[in-house]
Amino acid sequence: MVRSPRSKPKPKKKPLRLPWRDILDVLALSTWSAMLIRYWLGGKLLLLLHPDYAWLSNVAAIVLLLLAGSQVVKLLSVRRRGGGDAGADLGHVTMLPPSISSALLLSVAVFGLIYTPRAFASETATARGISDSLTLTRSQPQRFVRAANPAERTVIDWIRLVNVYPEPDAYAGEPVAVKGFVMHPEEWPDDYIMVSRFVLTCCAADAYPVGLPVKLKTNQSRSDYPVDSWLDVTGEMATEDLDGRRQIAIAASDLTAIAEPENPYQY
Amino acid sequence: MIQLNTGFTLFLSLLVEAVPFLLIGVAFSSVLMFLVDERKLIGALPKNAFLGALTGGLLGIFFPVCECGNVPVARRLLVQGAPTAVSVGFLLAAPTINPVVFWATWVAFRGQPEVVFMRVGCTLIIATTVGWVFSQQKDLGPFLQETVARSRFREQPVVSEQPSLLQGGTFLQAVGGGTLRLDTPVAQRLVANPALDQSTASKLSLVLDNMVRELRELGAVLILGSAIAATVQVAVPRETILGLGQGLISSILAMMILAAVVSICSTVDSFFALSFASTFTTGSLLAFLIFGPMIDLKNIGLLLTVFRARAVFYLFALAGLMSFGFALFINLYVG
Repeated sequence: MVRSPRSKPKPKKKPLRLPWRDILDVLALSTWSAMLIRYWLGGKLLLLLHPDYAWLSNVAAIVLLLLAGSQVVKLLSVRRRGGGDAGADLGHVTMLPPSISSALLLSVAVFGLIYTPRAFASETATARGISDSLTLTRSQPQRFVRAANPAERTVIDWIRLVNVYPEPDAYAGEPVAVKGFVMHPEEWPDDYIMVSRFVLTCCAADAYPVGLPVKLKTNQSRSDYPVDSWLDVTGEMATEDLDGRRQIAIAASDLTAIAEPENPYQY
Repeated sequence: MIQLNTGFTLFLSLLVEAVPFLLIGVAFSSVLMFLVDERKLIGALPKNAFLGALTGGLLGIFFPVCECGNVPVARRLLVQGAPTAVSVGFLLAAPTINPVVFWATWVAFRGQPEVVFMRVGCTLIIATTVGWVFSQQKDLGPFLQETVARSRFREQPVVSEQPSLLQGGTFLQAVGGGTLRLDTPVAQRLVANPALDQSTASKLSLVLDNMVRELRELGAVLILGSAIAATVQVAVPRETILGLGQGLISSILAMMILAAVVSICSTVDSFFALSFASTFTTGSLLAFLIFGPMIDLKNIGLLLTVFRARAVFYLFALAGLMSFGFALFINLYVG
């Protein structure tokens, strides 16, 4: 075959004008999705949310990905047709300019991708007023299941129980085995520490701290147990005078250092 | 450094918890926009002012869910001849009284379920009352922006100086006698929901576009709101917050100002309020949850596209005073 020497004139290329705002949208949506998926698969979601609502965030991750996909399809088809339309504006009035909104969304998602959330620790607990927690928990559950075996009760189980029936002597001698992080309340004597947990009802925004006093063994002082380290405390309940009132305290027989649990909150 | 970490974790936790509800919200609002035809609805509305306001308040169940979606709908309702009571009742209640917001509030305040019911109840009472008050104004015209007032469909035809027999224009002969003038509906159609006359494929693409647009706008506001909430939690000393938040009146005023400034979408505002739940009185949280969806900075801009400044001020004052009253009552006698 002999090729015609005259090659076809190439179609004139239109100047490439990228629809930046739409691209920004796609990027923002997909990065948000990536961030949620990262928390989902990395197991860090439990630091942010009550496990009951984890599925909401996971579904949102998928929906956002689909939305981003749909926008990509739209972008491509608009380009193929040549020239896009801005889409009918359905009487929507906005407060922020769209490109600023997209940029804000995108940058926060990028931040979320980089940053690893941390579980709250003792400083936050102090800031949120742990000293009140023995007499007051914020939510008032209408019903809670009491662990029949005292050694199976968690910190929050004990607090709820004491809220319902506050007489400390009623629990004297009951076996205790709880896990939590260490706090050193300033007003307490040197041989007491507090073993604490944060409790969630919805998400980290409403986490509130609760804690139980622990009376250390005679030859120990609180400096043996650094603040924010995690302990497995066993012993039995006793009544002590702290903060000028009688309250329950764990007379510790054994304190073991443990790693921070995967899920540091209680519910 | 620890404080910074706490702040970031709080901020992300608010966002991660709120984004699914924001998605549900914009999906509902975008889909419903293409399903519900206000024109058919208006015929079925009660004429009694009180019942109308109540119905308007409950209409939120069938309509777009956020305060930014409800102003355009309220405008369409007004223009297409819905009674004032219905439109105003809808305007105030729709962002709160709908299933998505109810669910989100329930998730956030599971520990204090009374907050959820008081939010819905008080909003309905306020919206109905304000709608009723506005309906006492015989002609709403002077309250509306000119463009809205002009295109408004009037129940009583405009009394013109021309004898009715000599009016020009296009008329339809109705079956039972009488005529229907076609000119007015033309004006109505211009402001009617533009989405209803599209093909299914383009409707779907419009739904997606609208979702992305609303997500972009509301997501940005959500981010700003979460940042404010997290900063206040971390940066302001606890004594200051407690001093403000435990005062019976100061807490309510603080939360109402916050509600007006932050402009956070009603679908997710309960999570914002939740981060103040341990330091602020129950009444003040309720004031935030009731007042915020009705009036805020973002909303005032939208409202001014429908009402004149005077009417917006009346709305603002009535809704604000009633929210304050309810919140104070709850602080004094319930919480």
